Amino acid sequence: MEIKFDGVSKNYGPISAIKDLSFTVKQGDFVFITGPSGSGKSTIIKLILNQIKPSSGQIEVNGVTPKTQQEIDDNRRKIGVIFQDFQMINDLTVEENIALNLDIVDYPNDQRLVAIDNALKKMKLQNRRYLFPMQLSGGELQRACLARALAISPQLILADEPTGNLDPINAWNLVKYLKQENELRGTTIIMTTHHTDIVKSLNKKVIKLEKNS
Amino acid sequence: MHHITHTWRHLRRSPFQSLIAIMTMTVSFFILTMFIFVNSGLNSVLNYFNTKPEITIFLKDGLDKATLESAQAEIAAIPEIREVRFVSKEKALELYKDLNKNNPLLTEMVTASILPASFEVSAYNPKVLEAVAQKFTAKANLVDEIVYQKDLIESLMGWTSMLKKVAIVVITFFGIVAFFVTSVVIGLKITNRKDEISTSRLLGASLFYVKKPFLIEGIIYGLVGSTVGYLITFILQASFKNKLNTFFSPAIFVTSDPLYYIQWFVVELFIGFIVGLTTSFVVSKRYIKW
Repeated sequence: MEIKFDGVSKNYGPISAIKDLSFTVKQGDFVFITGPSGSGKSTIIKLILNQIKPSSGQIEVNGVTPKTQQEIDDNRRKIGVIFQDFQMINDLTVEENIALNLDIVDYPNDQRLVAIDNALKKMKLQNRRYLFPMQLSGGELQRACLARALAISPQLILADEPTGNLDPINAWNLVKYLKQENELRGTTIIMTTHHTDIVKSLNKKVIKLEKNS
Repeated sequence: MHHITHTWRHLRRSPFQSLIAIMTMTVSFFILTMFIFVNSGLNSVLNYFNTKPEITIFLKDGLDKATLESAQAEIAAIPEIREVRFVSKEKALELYKDLNKNNPLLTEMVTASILPASFEVSAYNPKVLEAVAQKFTAKANLVDEIVYQKDLIESLMGWTSMLKKVAIVVITFFGIVAFFVTSVVIGLKITNRKDEISTSRLLGASLFYVKKPFLIEGIIYGLVGSTVGYLITFILQASFKNKLNTFFSPAIFVTSDPLYYIQWFVVELFIGFIVGLTTSFVVSKRYIKW
């Protein structure tokens, strides 16, 4: 999936979150978005998801600016999202959370179980399958979130500060999984982070934001 | 299948809210069914008397056979008269004894001589009876008294008409109550699941997808409420069936026709479905916009 920002600005009242931002993320790219708190990293993720609208400029997904709700929903179903606050549904087990996402993207019925098994296996969460999000540790929760995103075989993974709540080992493991997904399946990855050591060591494209840019 | 599981989870997580919605629906459908059954019963009694229009012309004593035969022939000649039956004094005594067979005190002092002979006249059209009554009231030398069922029919029609008016007001009131209670319950559930809906939307779920479990929930309230409300009324009516039918005898107030009950059950299920769906549709449209 290709994402193009063309002169995008976003204001929240008098506060400018991002200003005249332009970049292109090509299919198969692994891109880090870095910058201090309040520089607009999460705003970019929300703009790609069409959770918020830009104040000016254009955002294209695969060369098209989605206009109708149907187009927005269609694009969202191609994206695996790892939210900063996880956003797992608390009264569903890990397995049910993944199954819900598969149902939303209308994944073939006969392949759902295999997709869940594979995602849980990849994230080493087989023995956490029937647990509820509240029963998982921070690291497990983050992996469950990634498992939910990976299960749908997305064209793009949006990871909003996925390492923010993790210890260094778990943070590295998560990045390793994302890198693997990018290299093996060619999935486009956009990850926001302020862990400069991770960014430096992976040697991938970086969009560096500055506060009030 | 996923939506059914989802809806079941909604019902399970807040059972008391669901119970209130179902109980309100049940009360509304109980009242609706009760009005339907009572109205049907009254209509059936009314039809019975309408299809058996009859007057009784009580005759004066001492009339000779020729006068009686001439009067009978005169009535029979009127168009749309179905039957003219002569009930002699002796026959009237037989009928009286049969009617009061369980009360010997009422029968032992009565003889045929004190009971009047009469003509029982039935017609295909009840309006003819009114003409017969007017014609024979004028024959004072022949007729002692005329009794016919106009008053009873008018009284029954009055009751049925009043019942229909009361039913419209009461059912509308309870329908509105059911709508608002169910709306509040589903609204609360949507508010409680705001985060889940928002996450599902970000994962690509369409508006209809996130609304569907609430629509199914509304339909379940409607279907369960209508079924339980109907069954309660049905059981109540079945337990009072004999008493009601004896009271309205010879007309039948409570029918035994299974088709009648199946037909109304299906109609109420359909109404329950529509009410539940409409309520949940309106509420989910109002609350789920993001």
